[in-house]
Amino acid sequence: MIQNLPELLINFFDYIFFGFAMAAISSYIILAIISAFETVNYMKKNSFVNYTEILSSSISPSISIIAPAYNESLNIVENVRSLLSNHYVNYDVIIINDGSKDDSLEKLIAAYDLVKVDYLINNQIETKPLRKGVFKSTNPAFEKLIVVDKENGGKADALNLGLNISTNKYVACIDVDCLLLEDSLQKMIKPFLEATDHKVIAAGGVIRIANSCIIKDGKLLEINFPKNNIVRGQILEYLRAFLLGRMAWSKLNGLLVISGAFGLFDKKIALEVGGYDTKTVGEDMEIIVRMRRHMEEKKEKYRVAYIPDPLCWTEAPDNYKIFISQRNRWTRGTIETLKKHRKIGFNPKYNSLGTLSYPYWFLFERLAPIVEILGLFYFSILIITNNVVWSYAILFLILAYLFTVIFSIITIITEELTYHQYTKKGMGLQLIKTAFTEPILNHPFILYAALKGNFDYYFNKSIKWGEMTRKGMSNI
Amino acid sequence: MNLTKKIVLAEDNSILSKLLQFKLEKEGYHLLIATNGKEAVDLIEDNNPDMILTDIMMPFISGLEVISHVRNKLEMKTPIVVFSSAGQEEMVLNAFNLGATDFMSKPFSPNELIIRIKRLMQ
Amino acid sequence: MLDLLQNSIDAFNNSHPLIRFCIYLSLLFIATIALLLVYLKNLRDRLRIKGRIEATYQKKYESDLIEYLYAGDDKNINAEQQKIVDYLKQCGENRLKRKLIIATLLKLKNEISGETADAIQNLYYKTGFINSATSKLKSKKWDSVARAIRELTLFEIKEAHDEIIQLINHPKKEVRNEIQKYLVQLFRFDGLEFLNVLENPLSELDQIQLLEILNKFNNMEVPDMNNWLRSTNNSVISFTLKLAKIYNQYGAKDEIIALFNHPNTEIRIEAINVVNHLGIFEAVEILKEDYFTRTLEEQIAFFKMMEEMSMPDDVSFIREHIQHDNFHIRISVMKIMNLITVDSDNTFKVNTVTPDFTIDKDLTIAS
Repeated sequence: MIQNLPELLINFFDYIFFGFAMAAISSYIILAIISAFETVNYMKKNSFVNYTEILSSSISPSISIIAPAYNESLNIVENVRSLLSNHYVNYDVIIINDGSKDDSLEKLIAAYDLVKVDYLINNQIETKPLRKGVFKSTNPAFEKLIVVDKENGGKADALNLGLNISTNKYVACIDVDCLLLEDSLQKMIKPFLEATDHKVIAAGGVIRIANSCIIKDGKLLEINFPKNNIVRGQILEYLRAFLLGRMAWSKLNGLLVISGAFGLFDKKIALEVGGYDTKTVGEDMEIIVRMRRHMEEKKEKYRVAYIPDPLCWTEAPDNYKIFISQRNRWTRGTIETLKKHRKIGFNPKYNSLGTLSYPYWFLFERLAPIVEILGLFYFSILIITNNVVWSYAILFLILAYLFTVIFSIITIITEELTYHQYTKKGMGLQLIKTAFTEPILNHPFILYAALKGNFDYYFNKSIKWGEMTRKGMSNI
Repeated sequence: MNLTKKIVLAEDNSILSKLLQFKLEKEGYHLLIATNGKEAVDLIEDNNPDMILTDIMMPFISGLEVISHVRNKLEMKTPIVVFSSAGQEEMVLNAFNLGATDFMSKPFSPNELIIRIKRLMQ
Repeated sequence: MLDLLQNSIDAFNNSHPLIRFCIYLSLLFIATIALLLVYLKNLRDRLRIKGRIEATYQKKYESDLIEYLYAGDDKNINAEQQKIVDYLKQCGENRLKRKLIIATLLKLKNEISGETADAIQNLYYKTGFINSATSKLKSKKWDSVARAIRELTLFEIKEAHDEIIQLINHPKKEVRNEIQKYLVQLFRFDGLEFLNVLENPLSELDQIQLLEILNKFNNMEVPDMNNWLRSTNNSVISFTLKLAKIYNQYGAKDEIIALFNHPNTEIRIEAINVVNHLGIFEAVEILKEDYFTRTLEEQIAFFKMMEEMSMPDDVSFIREHIQHDNFHIRISVMKIMNLITVDSDNTFKVNTVTPDFTIDKDLTIAS
């Protein structure tokens, strides 16, 4: 009996890891199938909608773009100009200068003829106080622009002040350094206005990676495929997440995250739940979970919508250091959010939010890296104790690798069939090459960052974001 | 001395600008075409036109900003006609505040535009 | 070499069934990858050719169109124009090219009116594109039908009315929506008659699109709205309220006031806003009567209305609310008492403060 114990244990762990892998693989396949149907449907519905002729008039609902900025002096003037030229009539742009230590504010004042004004603020959410106050332009050409200078309080705090300042019905929370295409607001507002038997509480956009692309005068002129392997891997990763993952979750009405770099919210609901949580590093995920929870508790029919069109382009980290710290932060954000909303997990009272979305995130986002590392750990023990059946192990690895590659190639095909952004000759080959190299070149770093995130969360409490995030730090 | 009158047109619809180019050159004007506000500002600065036609909604630099630039920075008195779409009344008002001379609401008749241009050029 | 192969096959045959299964599976995966790659290559090549065709022909069709319009202003077309018509007709047999031609025509037609627009519509008839659109109305695919209706709307083809109206109860909402836009674009307010029988809700987006279409036309006789304001379809009521506001329908005031007691909160609020916009003073007393039983949003809308419509008699009632918990009500009260002046862009000035009131600094003044 005793002799059998190691073997029994080995069998037990084998089943655990094998079971987890199978569950993950089947969930990916199911999501891919759902997203295929949803994509066809979406493309059909939008094949005859001509956006340029709708919603350009003042009857359309009012939107505020809220863009927090921290030490963005280098590009702030150009970025604001591009935000001001969106093809939508009824909107304003609120730039929150979150205690920048550089000359961002001075640059904005000079470029847009700003003057300080007395402005009515409905302080519905507590925020850090104003520093120099609220500014508006004396030039009617920039009447959409509001610049607010406040004490530093982090991104969530800055967004909350934006929510207080806005007088409009909807708010688009964005990163100031991302490039919004000119029809982005028209497309993002559509799901809110189409709904008749439910309420759309938020809509998420797609983030595309702008590294190496040529941007001139606020326009995306040329889409290029960067040389850097970290960025290449992320391009594929984003495509997978947005074209396959999010599309399917939006069909299931199970989206738990919308990108912090570009999301549109119903302001009333965002205020009802108290705005962004300033205590988490994953404020963009947390607010969606909280808004959903709120709607579930009110027992109202709602949706979190998703627009798959490539509307927002941003720079992704191009070195391992920033990349790892970004993923580290996402991991901590996920842990914090799931922990804070433990109550909804596996709770049938919260319908699909509790029984489907939460468990999925918990198992395959939160636990996956841990399971993976335990698997590796277990594998090394087997090696040491000379218990490895090499043929199994190698075959298992090969299968996992091949599956990942297939999944990536399907993503690339989906991209070609829908938005076909990487049109230049040779890019197809590079995308495929990336599909083969990404599991080796990128995945280990993602895994490392996720572990470090776990470690920092539990053992290194001092690590927090004191200041605003840098480039590309928003959750996708 | 070149007596042909120059007109700068800022419009991002390529067919419309081509049509207007044909029509206006038939009337003896020289048309310079910009596809966005920035190009328009450059053309205006380089050519000192006799007339400016601009759409209100344009990428990067809006028609409003073009007007503001011409009137405030360049301090030119050149007549400016703005094109607007239905429902952009507020922006038209702003355009007039900034010093626009006239406006035409899209869809407009090209022939009517020519009549207005002739009248303004006198 | 053969031995090695033979040995591997033997080893394979002797191995555990699970191993054999995994080997089969990985071979299957590799084959799948190979197939997908071939397909991807093929797809990209096709898309590249399509892109090239699009770029070349788009330019070509643009200059053809300009040439056509430039060749003559007459109603009767000349030989040169006939040549262009024939050419476009021929191109139109290709689906992609037809799409490009239509897009080119519409790109210009949407921006202009008058003779040039008529000439483009004429070209649409002459090239026979109209026939392919009307024949698509019978298609089994809902998206083809919706696209065809849309095309006929944009080219303003009134003759298609009888055929299109038969589809009014189409099961797909997208098709019904295209029909509604067709009716309003071509028949203006007369087209709105579908509101009398509409059972499905009209989404906010549908409403905005219809209002934008109507907004393009001037000097129209506005129809009687009372029936629609009594509709059992809430979305028809809220659409009509928007119409009443835009077209200043003072005549519908009794029906609008009656909506103060509508079961739907949003309609009640919108009715208050419309009354405010139209300046119907008799509504003030009606609302004041049961003010306290109304929802907070209605109370806010009421105070917003009082900013414009308060009389000296109302001052005591208003003054009671200066310490109200709600920001908007407090601001309205201060505006009415002329303590502050708020501009349309939400910037404000503090007026000379009358001694009986002080402003709660924390909550109102931002700087």
